[in-house]
Amino acid sequence: MHSLGIAFDLLFGSPIILYSIIGLTWGIVGGSLPGISASITMALLLPFTYGMAPVQAIVMLACTYIGAEYGGSIPAILIRTPGTNSAAATVIDGYEMKRQGRAGEALGISLWSGVIGSLFGLLMLVVMTEPLSWVALAFKPTSYFALGILGLSVIASMTNGSLLKGLAAAVVGLMIATVGTDPISGVTRFTFGSPELLGGVEPVLIMIGVFAVSELMMQSGSKGLGGIGEQVRVRLPSLSMMNRLKRSQFIGCLLGTFEGLTPGGGGSIAAFLSYNEARRWSKEPEKFGKGSEEGVAAPETANNTVASAALIPLLSFGIPSSNSTAVLLGGLLIHGLLPGPRLFEQNADVVVGLYLGSFIATLAQILVGILLLPFCVWLVNRPRAYLAGFILALILSGIFTLNTSLFDLGIALGMGLVGYLMRRAGYPFLPLILGVVLGHMVESSYRRSLLLSGGDHTIFLEDPIAVGLLIASTIFVTLSLVREFRDARNAKLKDVHA
Amino acid sequence: MREQAALKDLAGGVAVLAIAGLYYWATGDIAESTLSDEVGASGLPRILAFALAGLGLILTARAVMAGALSPAHEPAAKSPAPETDDETSTLPRALGFLAFGVAYVCLVSFIGYLPAIALLIGAVALYEGAPRNWKTLVIAAGGALLYWGIFVKILGVHQPSGLFF
Repeated sequence: MHSLGIAFDLLFGSPIILYSIIGLTWGIVGGSLPGISASITMALLLPFTYGMAPVQAIVMLACTYIGAEYGGSIPAILIRTPGTNSAAATVIDGYEMKRQGRAGEALGISLWSGVIGSLFGLLMLVVMTEPLSWVALAFKPTSYFALGILGLSVIASMTNGSLLKGLAAAVVGLMIATVGTDPISGVTRFTFGSPELLGGVEPVLIMIGVFAVSELMMQSGSKGLGGIGEQVRVRLPSLSMMNRLKRSQFIGCLLGTFEGLTPGGGGSIAAFLSYNEARRWSKEPEKFGKGSEEGVAAPETANNTVASAALIPLLSFGIPSSNSTAVLLGGLLIHGLLPGPRLFEQNADVVVGLYLGSFIATLAQILVGILLLPFCVWLVNRPRAYLAGFILALILSGIFTLNTSLFDLGIALGMGLVGYLMRRAGYPFLPLILGVVLGHMVESSYRRSLLLSGGDHTIFLEDPIAVGLLIASTIFVTLSLVREFRDARNAKLKDVHA
Repeated sequence: MREQAALKDLAGGVAVLAIAGLYYWATGDIAESTLSDEVGASGLPRILAFALAGLGLILTARAVMAGALSPAHEPAAKSPAPETDDETSTLPRALGFLAFGVAYVCLVSFIGYLPAIALLIGAVALYEGAPRNWKTLVIAAGGALLYWGIFVKILGVHQPSGLFF
């Protein structure tokens, strides 16, 4: 009842609808640009949210995530280039439909399936998040330390075949988190006499650098993707078609929720899994790959479900399971909001606003998606050379707004170079980001635990929650190691046979 | 191909070792406080430096075992570079792109936000292959005005001012 009151206050007493629509619009536009993923679109928005009220900022970021998932399907269907990673599976049948002159129908199915997926994910978010977060009330410093370790163990499944590289990236992230003032003694560390570094390096600068600047550097010199060259209109599915899509959408919802809850899951895995399962359970599996409507519906439902379901571990325990949720965590931290039960108690308006804003954005997606399509098509047709200039200018202008400091621009550009070199050397990003955002929690809770025990490390074994979380982390890393060894052995065997 | 990947891994491993070494060296500057706990302000940084050094050693050793230093890759290195996305050709290009950002940071305090952002948009567009004509000039100037309008006029955010603006 209390939450309902807050919802009414927000709905009628604040411009939450406006912020939802702006976030959604920005998400669709950013997602429709090939190479600009949902996380980059969100990272570009971060500097603008600094001056906003927390609820408005978080709503805008979450709605951007929702919009980007649909936006990514636009170039996937029209020019065979997914705007976001999670739209890669949509290319298979979406582009085939476009070749058959059914681009509008494919976009309509994508939009409708996105709405279904978002609504289902949102339902899961509302039902599961708060009960889960109450578990965190029993947390002590030892539990928080173990939780940080569990968060870092996400790295194991995000390393694309090299756990060692992922671990190295995470350690570098933890190193960056140690810059600034020591949380216990107040001594300065690695500031090199610079007052700008006393408060540490802001995660937002690192995110913008490694996601956005490095992406622009990677794309430098690449050719344009070619124009769409035709007028396209969204055609929403008929009632009979909606009925036909139900099975594949249901599969997308289930797998999207599962992957959203799983650390390291993410939209692209969910989309491909759903595509495969939808084909397996389809009455017309032979149509898959040849312009199947279900082949568009399943991955689009799944990646939109992930966008909401991935917020469950984030809001309950502060564990980001993907790049996009790591950026959202950055947004929460910027506004001094710590995920967990206290967020539900002390900042209920933010949580209710997030639910409400996401719901508004999900419903508005149909209208905004239809209205924005001509603009997205126009934008995708723009020469890449001009887009690169405009995006870099936006990044540099946006970062300056954070602290009106040119020093911040230097950090973001430096992190852009680090991100570029990491991409080139095959080092994953997320471990670095996780190290930065979880570093403070891991260090301060570890040292507080030892202060309480007088330096006795067995304190970690006396807390059942900590023990459980540490065991879970060990299992997680061990399973990933086994998988990595198995993959390496299979690759070797393949080489021998070749 | 495999040797190239191993060489890349070797470079990565050496870079990781270098970061660990530099970071450890910098931990020497951390002062000890009377308020400090048992672990101390430099406790975790030292552990991290050793952990990264260990990972760097393993990564380097793995790259060497994968053939990064074996002479077998030399003939491949002498063969003509493939036309596809080649790292040695894109690294200078990427650094060139980054240089525009650095130049903006250096210039903006002198010439002001509006001209600096126009120069940035125009220069990056030209670098990325936009035609050298009035259209690029107009787009750069228009873009600068658009950003100035959004940031300074609409959002009311202070941007660097220089000698002219």
